[in-house]
Amino acid sequence: MVGESNQLSVLKDSKMSDIRSFEYRTRKGDVELYLYRKRLNQTGENKQAPPVLFLVHGSSFCGRSGFDMHPPGHDDYSLMDKFATRGFDVWTMDHEGYGRSSRTDGNSNIAAGVADLKAGTAMVEKETGLNRFAFYGQSSGALRAAAFAAACPERASHLVLDAFVWTGEGAPTLIKRREKLEQWRSSNVRKVDVAFFHSIFNRDKPGLSEPFVPDVLAESELSYGDTVPTGTYLDMCAHLPVVNPEDIDCPVQIIRGEHDGIATEEDLLAFFKALPNKDKQFVILPGQAHVAPLGVNRHRFWHVMESFLTMPPRMDDN
Amino acid sequence: MKNLSNLAEAREVNAEEHWAKKGRVDLYLYRKRPTGAGTLPLLFLVHGSSFSGRTGYDLQVPERSGYSMMDVFAGLGFDVWTMDHEGYGRSGSGGGNSDIASGVADLEAALEVIEKQTGQTACAFYGQSSGAIRAAAFAAANRKKAIKLALAAFVWTGEGSPTLAKRRERLEEWRSNNTRPVDAAFFHGMFTRDGTGYHDPAVPEAIAAAERLFGGTVPTGTYLDMCANLPLVDPLKISCPVLMIRGEFDGIAGEDDLIAFFSALPNKDKQFAFLPGQAHATQLGLNRWRFFHLLHGFLTMPDRKEV
Repeated sequence: MVGESNQLSVLKDSKMSDIRSFEYRTRKGDVELYLYRKRLNQTGENKQAPPVLFLVHGSSFCGRSGFDMHPPGHDDYSLMDKFATRGFDVWTMDHEGYGRSSRTDGNSNIAAGVADLKAGTAMVEKETGLNRFAFYGQSSGALRAAAFAAACPERASHLVLDAFVWTGEGAPTLIKRREKLEQWRSSNVRKVDVAFFHSIFNRDKPGLSEPFVPDVLAESELSYGDTVPTGTYLDMCAHLPVVNPEDIDCPVQIIRGEHDGIATEEDLLAFFKALPNKDKQFVILPGQAHVAPLGVNRHRFWHVMESFLTMPPRMDDN
Repeated sequence: MKNLSNLAEAREVNAEEHWAKKGRVDLYLYRKRPTGAGTLPLLFLVHGSSFSGRTGYDLQVPERSGYSMMDVFAGLGFDVWTMDHEGYGRSGSGGGNSDIASGVADLEAALEVIEKQTGQTACAFYGQSSGAIRAAAFAAANRKKAIKLALAAFVWTGEGSPTLAKRRERLEEWRSNNTRPVDAAFFHGMFTRDGTGYHDPAVPEAIAAAERLFGGTVPTGTYLDMCANLPLVDPLKISCPVLMIRGEFDGIAGEDDLIAFFSALPNKDKQFAFLPGQAHATQLGLNRWRFFHLLHGFLTMPDRKEV
């Protein structure tokens, strides 16, 4: 037989009890940034470093709140656990002004988020020995991740953009959000409360998440304080586009919840068309709104993302 | 980490031949599934303009492996069917040109046989090139019979298609004859017209050897339709989930044409994937395992839940 491509990969599921977690802190100038990592306990058989998946949070809740959620009685909400059990070394961080990272006078806009990721990925390289990672970003986290991949193409092996927005043209959520533009300009933080977290899940179409999810999110986030930075809101209302698709050279998957109001399909398809790397996918998920990882159909979101991240290698002479 | 190709190859697969009837025309069906399996999800593979079902989807290439898409998906737990459309392969011909409408009628006849054999009334469909047009037109006309639809090397309006611009130079030939000759040089040309380096030259050789058994001609109907009668599918009439797959170098359609079709599909359960390092015949290229991976992911998507 002629040796040929036949490595169609499916990652073996492992038990949650095999997962280990780690905390790190790094610095961006005077700012201390918190990183969190989950991966399978490495045994003697697992000599090869597992692929790194870095999860980038959005405007309103930090990394662990959104990506490592554990509602009472439910063990299937943690995106970190899900991908750790599938063989990934999963990292997230709290951006400046969020969660366990330093609360500063800045507004933690997209450019600040890119600087955070530069510091964060230096820590990942130090700990893993790897220097290219898959990135997943959600909402303004997708903007951060895309802007980072454009600025540091040598760091990004894959890019998954979920609830992304490019120009913002026609986006119902941003039209509404612009009504408070002066507030986002004049203050570097904004108040959040339980009602606000419920609104994230109900503004597009109620019924696509379990009702306890925003309560769990609120409980977690309010333990850090009752404000979050305004920078990404301001960028999304007044400064789009902040990413040039032509500057992104890695494979890209765009995931769009059917009812998500953060962007129009036309805006996202225009971005998709402009991506120069032809290794790209555009996925619309029905029965999903803005926060796919925490929706009732999150298992479908996991499925498409895992399929993208485990694509077999190319066998032509590219 | 498991290797899906090992999973696919681990199961013993058995084959069956069946026949359907479309009026007076006998239509050949071929089925592969895991030996001893019960009811399995159905996957129907629809061939294109220039070679028959078994040639394209159950290709055995000397000293190569992994070219039979039927074996791969049967090994992965699907009940895989294909057919030879009227005038192709082992099927009979009523003397027509086997155009897209004729292909839809072929598929309707085939589904009756599948229902008798399996008790199931609907399939997932995969179509390649004009097979994608046949499959899409069938799904539009028979909504309840298409569970999912994967369209590779599809074309909607034909706007911006280099391959069709070239093919139109011979439009009168397609109009005036119901068949056209095919030979080894033609099959090699299919794999090199968009660029080289994306296939093993043994593949068109194997296709030519397989098709040579069937007389050296194939019908012109799908060529004529693609050159003169597009669009033949209204995306608004397709109600099932759809995956569109586009080889990076495929000249059969313009990217804008495909994205416009994708945008118009009313079911939001839809995906559009580009495959780099691929040209027109995605399932027979060097990167076919990436194509299999993508298609398998679409076909095994978990069911939706409601609160």
